Amino acid sequence: MATTFVGGRHHSPACARLVAETIEALRPAHVLVEGPVDMNDRLDELLLGHEPPIAVYTYYRDEERSHASWTPFCDYSPEWVALAAGRACGARVRFIDLPAWHPAFTGRGNRYADAEARYTEVTGRLCREFAVDNTDVLWDHLFEVEPADGLADRLTAYFDLLRGEATTEHADVEREAYMASWVRAAQADAGDRPVVVVTGGFHTPALRVLAAGAEPGWPEVPRPPQDAVGASYLVPYSFRRLDAFTGYQSGMPSPEYYQHLWEDGVAGAAEALVASVVGRLRGRRQPVSTADLIAARTLAQGLARLRGHADPSRTDVLDGLVGALVSEDLSQPPPWTVRGPLRPGAHPAVVEMVAALSGDRVGALHPDTPAPPLVAAVTAELLALGLDGSGEVDLDLADDLGLRRGRTLHRLRVLGIVGFDRLAGPTGGGDPVFTERWRLTPSDRRLPALIEAAVHGATLEEAAGAALRGRVEDAPVDRLAEVLFDAALCGVTALSDDVVTALTTRVGAVADVAELGRVLVVVVGLWRYDGLFGTAGSPVLGAVISGAVTRVLWLVEGLHGGPAPADHRRLLALSATRDAVRHAESVLATGRGEAVAVLGRVAADPQAPPDLRGAAFGFCWSLGGGADVVRAVRGMSGPRTIGDWLAGLFAVAREEVLSADAVIMLLDELVHALSEEDFLVALPALRQAFAYFPPAERETIAKRVLVARGTGGSARELLRIDVDPVVVAEGMALEAKVDAVLAREGLA
Amino acid sequence: MSDNKKVQRPPAEVRFADELARLRESDTAHRPPGWALSLQGARRFIVGDPRAGITRKFVGDPSLIDRALVTLATTRGLMLVGEPGTAKSLLSELIAAAVCGESTLTIQGGAATTEDQIKYSWNYALLVAEGPSPRSLVPAPMLRGMAEGKVVRFEEITRCPLEVQDCMLSLLSERVVAIPELTGPDGMVFANDGFTVIATANTRDRGVNEMSAALKRRFNFETVFPIADLATELDLVEQESRTLLERSGVGVQPRRDVLEVLVTTFRELRDGVTSSGQPMDRLTTVMSTAEAVSVAHAVGLRGWFLRGEAGTPADLVECLAGTAAKDNPDDLARLRRYLEQQASRRKGAQWQALHQARHLLPG
Repeated sequence: MATTFVGGRHHSPACARLVAETIEALRPAHVLVEGPVDMNDRLDELLLGHEPPIAVYTYYRDEERSHASWTPFCDYSPEWVALAAGRACGARVRFIDLPAWHPAFTGRGNRYADAEARYTEVTGRLCREFAVDNTDVLWDHLFEVEPADGLADRLTAYFDLLRGEATTEHADVEREAYMASWVRAAQADAGDRPVVVVTGGFHTPALRVLAAGAEPGWPEVPRPPQDAVGASYLVPYSFRRLDAFTGYQSGMPSPEYYQHLWEDGVAGAAEALVASVVGRLRGRRQPVSTADLIAARTLAQGLARLRGHADPSRTDVLDGLVGALVSEDLSQPPPWTVRGPLRPGAHPAVVEMVAALSGDRVGALHPDTPAPPLVAAVTAELLALGLDGSGEVDLDLADDLGLRRGRTLHRLRVLGIVGFDRLAGPTGGGDPVFTERWRLTPSDRRLPALIEAAVHGATLEEAAGAALRGRVEDAPVDRLAEVLFDAALCGVTALSDDVVTALTTRVGAVADVAELGRVLVVVVGLWRYDGLFGTAGSPVLGAVISGAVTRVLWLVEGLHGGPAPADHRRLLALSATRDAVRHAESVLATGRGEAVAVLGRVAADPQAPPDLRGAAFGFCWSLGGGADVVRAVRGMSGPRTIGDWLAGLFAVAREEVLSADAVIMLLDELVHALSEEDFLVALPALRQAFAYFPPAERETIAKRVLVARGTGGSARELLRIDVDPVVVAEGMALEAKVDAVLAREGLA
Repeated sequence: MSDNKKVQRPPAEVRFADELARLRESDTAHRPPGWALSLQGARRFIVGDPRAGITRKFVGDPSLIDRALVTLATTRGLMLVGEPGTAKSLLSELIAAAVCGESTLTIQGGAATTEDQIKYSWNYALLVAEGPSPRSLVPAPMLRGMAEGKVVRFEEITRCPLEVQDCMLSLLSERVVAIPELTGPDGMVFANDGFTVIATANTRDRGVNEMSAALKRRFNFETVFPIADLATELDLVEQESRTLLERSGVGVQPRRDVLEVLVTTFRELRDGVTSSGQPMDRLTTVMSTAEAVSVAHAVGLRGWFLRGEAGTPADLVECLAGTAAKDNPDDLARLRRYLEQQASRRKGAQWQALHQARHLLPG
């Protein structure tokens, strides 16, 4: 009985080679592999003949938590190689780690992340000792570019050192105890024949101790609780996603490079990397001269020699390229020196280097691979609605079929399935658009996205509903209106009570009136009109409206400030609040009386900004507050405040102003009485204020002014000036200046 | 130079003379022509080798040193760029000391730098008396570096006028200085093995953009970044400020918790991100490690000479107003907001003391 532990790093070509050699040499009875034990019955599925990268995608949901994670495999993953090599030599191959849904994996998205990344103290010291930037460089230096002799011993020494000094997390202890129980059982079963155990090297030292002795009887496979929902499916994976894990989730970076290393060796991988970077840069029309390439190669060779590598390693090549190709300062350290994603604004050469390291290889599943029910449901639904093709599709939402097709497409869009893009359609509640245009583009990324969306449910309606509920809970407030509108578009109207509570709490905590206004505009629109999507009178929307109105009233009273340009978004918020009070009073917790009282105080508050006071006044007026509008206008008639005050008034109470002749006459009188200088001061704000009237209404106002002044002429002509008003204003300013000079010199 | 105690800051080859001597003795690896140490030896000198008693002299990515040394072994010059205070000049001094054993062949770039200070000038008394001769020639760093096969350091090259920078072009590509006044073999000074140039430029003052493309092509650019992690920067600030304080006759060590507050403040104001990852305003002033060291020094001096203790967060606030805000009222407002809103949320007595002392900011 002999057990050989091969502890390496996940996705390391050197370790994969070692695994293959060890299994071939020992021809063991059992090959035990770190991987989800609940997939053991489905190993045939894994070995159907896929093209890696692929991953086992696992989702899980119970009352307390939901979790999704991936177990990714590439051609050069030691675990993947162990499966194939073990089968080939007739060994019994098994996964021995806890299932992905097990609490030990809470918070882990990538099963094959580097466990040692969580124990940085030791690795930090090793990096200093070897004078390298980070553990990835250290790993290349010690294992990937070194000749294979003695690799097993070096790995053992490395991981013994790491493990020896780290105190282990509880989750790791739990997993190791479970894995060890499988090893003991395999040892008992194998008798005199060898056993090979392939795990992450960080676990090996512990396993070696825990697995001493034989213990007949295979361990039990943990079962998820009764009420939990979860499953595992194979998904096609991509190098880009594999490389996108960061922090504690990250594993070996640069999959494309290591794929070449696996296929062609160190020198071949270096060549391929340079070729790929240069090809990409030239493809983007960035100049790369032969002299640059010579310099890059010289530097890479020099660095390899300095660092003691026979052939240039990954970072030797990259350092050489960056030295030769970048001739200005970089805005951030090259990403291979610091471990982590590239921030925006990076040098184009560095961007292409990172892209070349990641590669764009996408895996493919064998056609016989089972898929979750959602995939079949969606395929059938698309087929039934005639949406399985490509190109542009026009929908008439007033028509029942059109509405159903629209809902299906929106549900797919909400789930983030690629290739369903809406080109045109209604943009908010009450939008009188009843047609939609979509573009369908089939893509090979659709299948993985659908498999992963299966976490939300088995049918499209169920999945989209669950996804939207999740978004309602997580969305920042400025996106909330969008989420609620999406829900309407998807035909998801029933949101549970706790979602409603969460929503109102969120709305109640917003600190910006303008943001609330945006939510209110959309939601009031949906609540009032939308017979089309069935949202009119919806209690969920009612709750949001009520919460938002209460909050706006609270915030508005605290807004103070002197004269400032009118804030259009703030005014819209007040107008939307007014609409809510006027049309949706039945659902409001704060009634009309309180609202008018609050805004009456704001309108009278000399500390409040003028636009807000105007809007508050309009609010009360339009809700029948019985205010004396003429007096109010007179009170705000200073040239610095009148325009902004009117902007507020017009934004909220346009119709009321139009029907009150006295106001228009008063404004005419006030403007007429302004001195030349004051008029210029007030002009910009006045123009902005009158922009709240559509052209036809402006014409009505002009007509009334003409009638009142007793001068004939066309009101339309009055509004249509040939000269840009800005030029007129500048001319007036110039005239005023000339007059002033003349007066100063006594020539006036 | 005979009595080093009087020298405020001896050059690197003097400060680390015994380390260099030991490295030279034990260095068996292949040396590039004209070099005093092998690449491996030079690298050990800079990144340190505790077992051989070689201290770590530069805190930063070791790969930067690798790239810099390999660049110098090729025919290109090395251009170190980065924010002020990222130890570019220190690094160039160390590299020069390691590669050729001499770091004093230095040209300090500035608006007033002329070609004379780069190539050569004349001893005019001798010139008038004897006519042009090697005796009356006064070699400047480039000429000496080329003739002796040494490393020439050109500090702040982008502060020089373009036309002066351009006189480097032919020197770097032809590797020869022509002295038309002299005849015969003296008229041409050829560069010997070991000659190379390390230039530094900072990205704040006058961007590197103003270098001509032709000159850029003769250099490999290396960007020197601020220290990436808090612990390393804190250690460095502690070590450096302790040395400075000892030299200033201060009898106590700086307090680590005060320094931690100081370094964290500097890092957050420099990056515009709090340590918990929230975005905040960053200062326009340079908040480099070197500045942090000088603030730590000043805090220690205030504490010791005013009250006989190690310095408190209140001293820190007073010093910050001068370093961080300088004469920029916007930065002062940002600093005040930082002390008001960020410092108050942190745990720890020193943070609270910092928050309490916020009213010491001027204005």
